[in-house]
Amino acid sequence: MSEGLDTVVAAETPEGILLELRPAGLTARFYAFGVDWTIRLMVLYAVAMVTGLMGGIGLAIWIILLFACEWLYPIVFELASSGATPGKRIFNLKVVMDNGLPVTPAASITRNLLRAADFLPFAFGFAIASMLLRHDYKRLGDLAASTIVVHEPKPATHAGIAEVSPLTPVIALAPRTQAALISLALRAPRLTAERVDELAAMAAAVSGDAQRSGPRVTRRVLGVAQWALGRRS
Amino acid sequence: MTPLQFEKLYEAEWAELESALDRKPSVIAIRSTSAARFTSLYRRTCGHLAIARSRSYPSHLVDRLEHITARCHQAIYQQREVGGAWLVRVIARDFPAAVRAHRGYVIVATLVFMVPAVIVGLLVYAQPELILSVVDPETASEFDSMYSKSAESIGRIRSADTDWMMFGYYIRNNIGVAFQCFAGGLFAGLGSLFFLAYNGAFGGALAGYLTSRGLSSTFYSFIATHAAFELTAIFLAGAAGLRIGHAWLAPGRHTRQQSLITASRESVVLLYGVFVMLLVAAAVEAFWSSATWLPVDVKYGVAGLCWVGVLSYLLLQGRHAR
Repeated sequence: MSEGLDTVVAAETPEGILLELRPAGLTARFYAFGVDWTIRLMVLYAVAMVTGLMGGIGLAIWIILLFACEWLYPIVFELASSGATPGKRIFNLKVVMDNGLPVTPAASITRNLLRAADFLPFAFGFAIASMLLRHDYKRLGDLAASTIVVHEPKPATHAGIAEVSPLTPVIALAPRTQAALISLALRAPRLTAERVDELAAMAAAVSGDAQRSGPRVTRRVLGVAQWALGRRS
Repeated sequence: MTPLQFEKLYEAEWAELESALDRKPSVIAIRSTSAARFTSLYRRTCGHLAIARSRSYPSHLVDRLEHITARCHQAIYQQREVGGAWLVRVIARDFPAAVRAHRGYVIVATLVFMVPAVIVGLLVYAQPELILSVVDPETASEFDSMYSKSAESIGRIRSADTDWMMFGYYIRNNIGVAFQCFAGGLFAGLGSLFFLAYNGAFGGALAGYLTSRGLSSTFYSFIATHAAFELTAIFLAGAAGLRIGHAWLAPGRHTRQQSLITASRESVVLLYGVFVMLLVAAAVEAFWSSATWLPVDVKYGVAGLCWVGVLSYLLLQGRHAR
């Protein structure tokens, strides 16, 4: 939802909720591709050792497997295991439709067959150009299939919050101020004590400590944050 | 209401949704909880998310609600098309209907393949040494041995020792060509036009050369049967490529991207059929067409049946369905 620097793409659901999709860029997708490429190479190599002993029919099996690795590998994995090849899964990437839904069979087939076009003129030239030029990092196959490769959202973790006793604020707090205090309290465990003191000093007015700073003021400000969260002494 | 009160008030509902989602991350989850209960919980949670966002509730709360609603959204609206019913529908209706819907492109693709094939074929037939401008002398002599009347198995390349290997080779090669024919269409159709014309010219040169060498009976009885599937499939793949190229070049009232998306969605149905037809073609080519023990008349008879079968399937199947 933020413009400019952020690359988040918003998809609206029929319920009027905005889902945030975080498109994956060239680097992440390159690593995932590298892993997938290595996996396929290793499978082909391992199978070749077995089929090499089987003569003509073994060679046939191997060539068909080669074909499957070239064209069907991404389609099968995208449709079977929730939109990600093993390489993408390792890097927490996922193919979804533009509207945030799981990739449909038609879209997966389209985007993976059009990989041949992305490969041109050489070494995925068009795919790289397209991904570098676009805000949502789509390659040509993604454009035609209306799919997007996103970073899979990590499950929400319940952030730890500094345990201090709640303190009633001395002034009336606007909702924005309350939200800012709560964010500060949530972030406090991940910041250095000095930085928390600096930030708390800016908000010291809420606990009646304006113009003062230090660990004691910080504890009082964080206490007001506890109050804003809903804790009462 | 403070964030803690809010969380406490609705915690039970969110936990119920989460446990329903955890049980099976798919449609089944919706069926196992009663569907009405699941969707009503989902809508209520969407409301909670909107409230939490507008009141700037703590980020972990908003994140959690976003995560729940996103997963519900995926579970409720996903399209699980692939399955037995889908396959039957594609074969019985969607694929032949898509072929007919693209008939203009199919005709153009056929012409782009056949016109160079006939011209080059006639040229090479008139002057067999012209084959050397297409392939090198060794390949030309390999053609002679591949289609000679004394060949052990017709059409087998020198490095292959069994029909099975040729089966694998035909699958990889022919389906790869068909897919490239489609993908090349993305560049204003030029890639499709090139692949069609190139393969047409090459096939024509081969036919003209072998005919002039007096090997026409082995060659034509060899290609007649699988061509019903293979040539048709290549034309259809080319037609799908031309469709997306045309959609991109002349988007009409849509944006270029929207036009491309629509064209891809409609023309990719052709590729489903192309894939199956080329699998059939590879099996026929490797095991039936190549057989030297079959009388030529039988081969032509079966070839005729295949052509009638393929064409009537594409032209007639599923016309009155829907």
